[in-house]
Amino acid sequence: MLGAIVALAACAIVGSALAPDGSSRARPFAVSRLAPKSAPNPLAGRLSKVYGTNIPASRYGTEVADLEDEGTNLAGEQVSELSPLPPRQFVVPENEYRAYAQRWIAKAVSGASSLRRALVAGNRAAAQLAWATTWSDYLHLGAVYGLFAAQNQAIDGIPGVLPGGSASPHFLGLHRIEMGLWTGASLGSLIGYDKLLQGALQRLHAVVAHAQFTPLEYATRSHEIIEDAQRDLLSGSEVPWSGQGVLGTAAGVAATEEVVHTLEPLLSGRENTEGEVRSELLMLRGLLASIEHRHHGSYPSLAQLGSYEHEQLNGYVAGALSALEQMPGTLETETRRPVAKLPQPSPAERAQERAEERQAEGTS
Amino acid sequence: MSALDRRQFLTRSATLLGAGGLGAFAGVVAEADSHASAPQQSSVEQSRATLAAELAARVPFDGPHQAGILTPGQAQATLVALDSIAPDRSTLIVALRNLSERARSLTQGGTVGAEELDDPPPDSGILGSINAPDQLTVTIAFGASLFDGRYGLHALKPKDLEAMPNFPHDDLDPTRSHGDVLVSVCAGQRDTVVHTVRELMRSVVGHMTPRWSIDGFKSARRGPTPANSPRNLFAFRDGTANPDVEDASLMDELIWIPPAEHSSGEPDWAAGGTYQVVRTIRMHVEFWDRVGMFEQQNMIGRYRVTGAPLGGTNEFEDPRYDLDPAGKRIPLIAHIRLANPRTTQTANQRILRRGYNYERGIDEAGNLDQGLLFVAFNQDIQRQFATIQRRLEEEEMTDYITPVGGGYFFAPPGSRSPGDWVGSGLFV
Repeated sequence: MLGAIVALAACAIVGSALAPDGSSRARPFAVSRLAPKSAPNPLAGRLSKVYGTNIPASRYGTEVADLEDEGTNLAGEQVSELSPLPPRQFVVPENEYRAYAQRWIAKAVSGASSLRRALVAGNRAAAQLAWATTWSDYLHLGAVYGLFAAQNQAIDGIPGVLPGGSASPHFLGLHRIEMGLWTGASLGSLIGYDKLLQGALQRLHAVVAHAQFTPLEYATRSHEIIEDAQRDLLSGSEVPWSGQGVLGTAAGVAATEEVVHTLEPLLSGRENTEGEVRSELLMLRGLLASIEHRHHGSYPSLAQLGSYEHEQLNGYVAGALSALEQMPGTLETETRRPVAKLPQPSPAERAQERAEERQAEGTS
Repeated sequence: MSALDRRQFLTRSATLLGAGGLGAFAGVVAEADSHASAPQQSSVEQSRATLAAELAARVPFDGPHQAGILTPGQAQATLVALDSIAPDRSTLIVALRNLSERARSLTQGGTVGAEELDDPPPDSGILGSINAPDQLTVTIAFGASLFDGRYGLHALKPKDLEAMPNFPHDDLDPTRSHGDVLVSVCAGQRDTVVHTVRELMRSVVGHMTPRWSIDGFKSARRGPTPANSPRNLFAFRDGTANPDVEDASLMDELIWIPPAEHSSGEPDWAAGGTYQVVRTIRMHVEFWDRVGMFEQQNMIGRYRVTGAPLGGTNEFEDPRYDLDPAGKRIPLIAHIRLANPRTTQTANQRILRRGYNYERGIDEAGNLDQGLLFVAFNQDIQRQFATIQRRLEEEEMTDYITPVGGGYFFAPPGSRSPGDWVGSGLFV
């Protein structure tokens, strides 16, 4: 019933906005009249109050709705304007994601085998190519970042966090091999690191199968994956030797697309997040494809990336993030409860506070 | 500095510097003060008088402790880490003495001297013919590397002094970390700091070479009262829970190395000094700006606007963790709760923060390179800073920050008189 009323009301509002206003001036799209802040509520004639409240409809259509648009309820508390989703609705998306992640782990394990073959054969170019493929495959997991910290250090750990940096014996994994491959180390000296890498990747199957994350964590990953790529890869800070920041970013975009894809059924109809996210990701994906095309079918290193291409990529990534940042709020599963108030200070304590403030004001 | 201090300074300035220069500034201020309530004084005149008073404000260089530690934070700062290239101990002494002497003269202000026309001027002159003190402080501190085998200082190394380790979320860049000597230059105006750094570099040229430096600034105090703390670049107030620097016994308990007879385990020369911890903490501000206000406030444990602890109304209100043992009001891993649990057991872990915001342009990914130049003073790094830092490893804010540089340093006691210099106790 309420839905029908709202639909009728929406038609009435849009209709009145689009209808000629009868003035002599041509105003084909009188959009500014759609929702003037102080306009009388067009529903007031038919509705006496809003369902579930004791608020008169005439007031709801102006003051209350305006407040809610700003995220505040009648008590002045900050609230979400969307009703929360039941957490169980995230079970299917997260399972879909786990299945996707398992496929990319298998690819990465296979990539590590190719890497070993190239190292044993002494073919640096082939080893670099296999490294890039394996690393990109691993980054396609994206959304499970942070859920297996120890494994991630063994696979994708950077030297900066280790005492001794790149000279540390604990510096292992893809970036250890990257350092050797791009700094002229003998390929034989890298054999062994690939084995450790492959073992760590294989252990991921079990880790991912049992990884638990909350709906908020999963929704937040949708922008964190590209944030990480922007911070660590496009800046070059985590690919100092190969410079493969564009390749890594493209893998992160693919992972993000998968997360968004699994969540699309939940996004549907909740604000316009789905549309904005789709549009921005499409633009970013298009840009990556055009860069790949211009560089003869493979992603350039950051050094090979043209300055305008780099600017475009920075800008499109930032644009995608500005849409993706809405995901956690749109997919909220909890109603925020007001924070409990601290006990009010006694008159004596208040006087003391005022005295301290006066003293601070005098000495600042 | 209080208004009274400023007026006292102005009197001295006028005497010291004569009718020109600062004397003229003093005259402006004196006139402004005598007509403070006169309605005809324009805002331009008022701001000129205020600036003159601020430029004239002087902080003593000599004293039992160095300036720039308990001194209220000035608006602008630059930290410069130097490595010694002095070939021997006596050259190092010359360099350190020169550094102190030049720092003393700059902090106290004075006319810029001139030499023969054919000679390079002894001062760059970028502040004009008068170097106004402008609340300038120069704080000199030593890194662990100064106590290696080069100068025979190993036995005199303060006991807690070591190269700052990588904490779990750090990504320290060696070219932005550590150093033999750290010089902290703080003043009211940016040009004063720039001038001071330039002059100090000249004073040690050939003996010390810069390793890294970083500029900092404080947010203006925008109220609602002058007592409210300024904000960091996550927009939260910073320094709210700092210990009271006016409380001398508290400073003895938390900041200063006690005299040797207290058996602190520190070398004799260190008494009256303090450990200085510097952390260049990149704040991923774009990431932060994508976080909902509710989460931002929960991560910190305070309201962004007022700075009050969650549930409270006043920035300086006690968060009353005793009423919230389960963390329902302020999460157990909120920054303020981990940094200072406010228990009897953690009271002696408190540190004196004297940080600045920093801004270094943009990075390769088009993101703003901004953050917190964390500076803290404490009596015992392991008991205080390192313990707090280990607690903070749990906080959610680690996702939004990356410590990229800094170091552990030891700020010796102050120079006792104009003939003395910072660090002289190492060479007796």
